[in-house]
Amino acid sequence: MNGIRTVAGKELARVFGDKKLIFSLFIMPAVLMFVLYSLIGKAMGGMMDDIEKHVPSVYVQNAPEGFDEFTKSLEVDSETTYLKSTDSLDDIKANIKSGDADLLIVFPENFLETVNGYSNGMEIPEVKTYYNPAEDYSSEARSTYANTLLTAYQQSLLADRVGDLNSLTVFQVDLDESTSIITDEGKASGKMLSMMLPYLIVMLLFTGPMSLGVDAITGEKERGTMASMLVAPVKRSQIVVGKIIALSLLSCLSAIVYAVSIIISVPRMFNGMEVDGLATSASFSILQMVQLLLIMLSLVYFYVAIVTLIAVFAKTAKEAGTYVSPVYIVVIVAGVLTMFSGNSEMQLPLFAIPVYGSAAAIQRVITGELTAAQFGTSILGIVVVSTILTALITKAFNSEKVMFNA
Amino acid sequence: MIQVNNLTKVYKLSKKQMAEQKTKKNMKKAVDNVDIKAVPGEIYGLLGPNGAGKTTTLRCIATLLKPTEGDISVCGLDTVTQSEGVRNKIAFLTNEIKLDPQFSPTYMFRFFGRLHGLTEAQINERMKVLFEQFGITDFKDKKIDELSTGMKQKAAIAVSLVHDPEVVIFDEPTNGLDIVTARTVTDYLKELRAQGKVVIVSTHIMTEAEKLCDRIGIIINGQKVMEGTLSQILTETQGEDLEDAFFRLYEKYNTEEVR
Repeated sequence: MNGIRTVAGKELARVFGDKKLIFSLFIMPAVLMFVLYSLIGKAMGGMMDDIEKHVPSVYVQNAPEGFDEFTKSLEVDSETTYLKSTDSLDDIKANIKSGDADLLIVFPENFLETVNGYSNGMEIPEVKTYYNPAEDYSSEARSTYANTLLTAYQQSLLADRVGDLNSLTVFQVDLDESTSIITDEGKASGKMLSMMLPYLIVMLLFTGPMSLGVDAITGEKERGTMASMLVAPVKRSQIVVGKIIALSLLSCLSAIVYAVSIIISVPRMFNGMEVDGLATSASFSILQMVQLLLIMLSLVYFYVAIVTLIAVFAKTAKEAGTYVSPVYIVVIVAGVLTMFSGNSEMQLPLFAIPVYGSAAAIQRVITGELTAAQFGTSILGIVVVSTILTALITKAFNSEKVMFNA
Repeated sequence: MIQVNNLTKVYKLSKKQMAEQKTKKNMKKAVDNVDIKAVPGEIYGLLGPNGAGKTTTLRCIATLLKPTEGDISVCGLDTVTQSEGVRNKIAFLTNEIKLDPQFSPTYMFRFFGRLHGLTEAQINERMKVLFEQFGITDFKDKKIDELSTGMKQKAAIAVSLVHDPEVVIFDEPTNGLDIVTARTVTDYLKELRAQGKVVIVSTHIMTEAEKLCDRIGIIINGQKVMEGTLSQILTETQGEDLEDAFFRLYEKYNTEEVR
């Protein structure tokens, strides 16, 4: 135990005794994330403001009588140009394509006569719009006109035809939709989190071991400082466990920094914007928090073990980096898989797959659906694999070939 | 006491190493049937050219490598089956072993003291003695990265001796040091001998070996080709001095067949 404590203490001192390392590991990521998300939020907000303030340039051909007054009554702000049926549309379409005009609405000739003279079996007139989906102004103008103005105009003409619009309605569905919802509030509120959080947790927990593990093992081999430890009267397994404990603690701290940064920074990205339907908060019970903590700890242990194993076999830090990068990609893929799998039925043995099983378990913790068997399987699976990896690391530490290239 | 019996160490070469060494054999005998006996109160010198097998021999004694054949005992403990016990009895230093550059000599001294199971009081006592002996006190709290080569070597030697070991194994301890620092190191080795410690050093510097070592073993191509006191070696080889004796042996044993 003395060896484990001493080795772990040195690893912690190595990080906390180096201001540059503290800055690059714990402070810089938090600041960068805050600045980045704030900038994205500002840019997105600016873009939305710009679109809102823009007065669309709209061309209307064969506008029916009274359409101009109807538009003004709805206070739709636009620079509208009315065209005759003989006017060419080619230049206007070219302008829409180049972004110089936003929307073209074409009514059929004698539109009102056709509408008013409608009888059963007659062809229904079509109002055609032309816009450019690649241009934000054009898309917004089309959305405003098609969804708001033309729909209202359609209702107005329909009311003229039938008198009471209610006579066309036989029944309505859910006048007050909020009273229709029967759901577990915890599950509903955690839905968005259960999609995003497992992915973020499995990804962010890896960043600590990735940046620290290589230097703590391969770096020490390269610098010749590992050999000095190997001639000390301490079991190799104690050196391994000491390093793993220290790296796990540092990785947890790094992950906490990332998590707090995200929690603080993400709202800045959506600053001033309405994000409908995104339930991004959830309250956890003590049991859920304990489950989450244990899953995260087992995940950190696995990450540290796998990075350490790679680092032990690598001859240089550069070589270790090239081996760790593909592992990181696998971790991201495992996180993404759970992100889109929802809370669908998953066979129990799949929870034993490291990372994937943990991400699925985290997902179910958040929605309050994790069973004891699923929790136990995910913890047991990853701990067994990590213990095997630790045994392999210890074996590698005892290998002359690995440690001294002999 | 150190007793090395019929030590043979064979390395398996990778394809890359085979290409680098321009050989088709995938095995290399780094040490071939070497016997060494070093006793308390003696400085034993291991001499040989680069790649002769000196460092491999010392690494085997220090438990970092396992003998392919033969056995080694240090203070009565087997280096394979009782390696942890052996490591508690020895100080081992080579150019490949370095102290963590971001820590100070004080931190590293305490770190290794704790690994050796010493109490804080014992560590402080040893630190005072050794830091004064090697003149480390002035830079004891500076980062090792900021120290000169000589200062680093002095710190490394002091740290390796934290547990007051019975056996001291130094691989080229004065390599790259200025004359003053080298003298400090050799003087201390003599002091250790006077204290009754077993000291084994490997060196390239013939004059240093002549002045420092009580007995000398010469290794060429993994084989110990001669062993004895300076006068015994000079008599046997008809050499004028150790360098001359060494070259006579080198010409005799560095043959293609041996290689």
